[in-house]
Amino acid sequence: MNVLRAVLWKDLLIEWRSRERSVAMLVFALLVVVILYLAAPPADTPEARAALPGMLWVAYIFAAVLGLNRAFALELDEDALTGLALAPADRGFIFLGKTLASFVLLLGVQAVTALAFGLAFGVNFAPVALPFAGVAALGALGICVVGTFCSAMAIRTRYREAMLPLLMLPLLLPILLGAVRATDALLNGEALPGLALQLLLVSDGVFTIVCYLGFDAVLDE
Amino acid sequence: MLNVFDATSPIARAPAARLTSVLCIGLFPAWAFAVFNAPIDSFQGVIQKILYIHPPLAFGAYLGFICTALFGALYLWKREPRFDHWALSAAEVGVLLCTLMLLTGPIWGKGTWGRWWTWDLRLTLTLLLYFVYVSYLLLRAFSEGSERAARFAALYGILGLVVVPLNRFAIELSGGRALHPANLNPGDDQLGAGMTSPFVLGVLLVFACFAWLLVRRYELCRLREAVLLQEAESEREDAWAT
Repeated sequence: MNVLRAVLWKDLLIEWRSRERSVAMLVFALLVVVILYLAAPPADTPEARAALPGMLWVAYIFAAVLGLNRAFALELDEDALTGLALAPADRGFIFLGKTLASFVLLLGVQAVTALAFGLAFGVNFAPVALPFAGVAALGALGICVVGTFCSAMAIRTRYREAMLPLLMLPLLLPILLGAVRATDALLNGEALPGLALQLLLVSDGVFTIVCYLGFDAVLDE
Repeated sequence: MLNVFDATSPIARAPAARLTSVLCIGLFPAWAFAVFNAPIDSFQGVIQKILYIHPPLAFGAYLGFICTALFGALYLWKREPRFDHWALSAAEVGVLLCTLMLLTGPIWGKGTWGRWWTWDLRLTLTLLLYFVYVSYLLLRAFSEGSERAARFAALYGILGLVVVPLNRFAIELSGGRALHPANLNPGDDQLGAGMTSPFVLGVLLVFACFAWLLVRRYELCRLREAVLLQEAESEREDAWAT
């Protein structure tokens, strides 16, 4: 657990000092919202409103891909990755520390993006702020778990930036569908759908366990 | 240059390659004859005959993906390169069969449903699985060092199989329409008279082709490794000589 805390603190401190990842993720997410607004201007039809949760989560995933690409890139400087791999500790906790650092950043980006999205598309998140925050957090956790795991592999391939989305996007469907379904219900004033929440919880759990167990082999050089 | 289709090549001389190639050569005419003689479906017409190749291709593709994950897990456990070679071979053959399945399916769909594609539960699941294993091959292609590529690919192959039940649940939840015909179960007698034998022969033929391609691809991996070792050896000898 000390390793988890140390890695989490290190990543957040680096981010606090440089603010590179969070600013890039946020600006990118806002640009995606603007592009979505221009490509599909808000219309007061049931079809247009039904597409909104999906559009919001597409913006979240794009921002996450950008941020997660940097999750392990900063460990390449001074060959810090070798240092991490040689640390006399369970590597699974290194993975969890890195995941939580990305999760914290993504949560912040999600909050600001939701505000911008609400303003652009006339969506009022205020009445459902708390349950929506829960859904966003569950979705962000799954994205960060899969993304951090894939990022650790992608960073050591020839086409790093291109490789991460290719690896993580085919795996993210359960997270995306669960989150979109739950967001859709909330925006329509319905109760949170139990099955969507179950899907998010089970997917987060399964991905966390598999990636935690497999991470030892990722750093095994 | 090594030609894997050359009957005198070391790959073709491998006993398993010989046996599986004989099986393929024997089964193909039997299957073609059975398909030609099978009755034409009164409702769907001649397009129904895609049934004799499309589901068998799907079975072969799924078998390839399951083998990839199993051999990947064995590689992570034992760290023996042969398991990685089997996993890579199974993934390549699985992707090939899945590509053929994804090409034959829409032809039947257009003729029967009037649409090339629909976001049906099974179609979407298969397409996602296809993307996972195409990414698997890309990961291998872009990873530097054979040991690292093998390790990463093994992990990703396992993750790709783990996500299947989750995807299934997710698509059911999103209201994926079940347009695709149900599974054919041997005891249900869903096939009309004279349609069972070409279907069974199709399954056997695809499995034989799967085994043949798998064995040949595996042998190719071994030969490639032997060539690399030989090159490294001669480079070492050259370095000593100078």
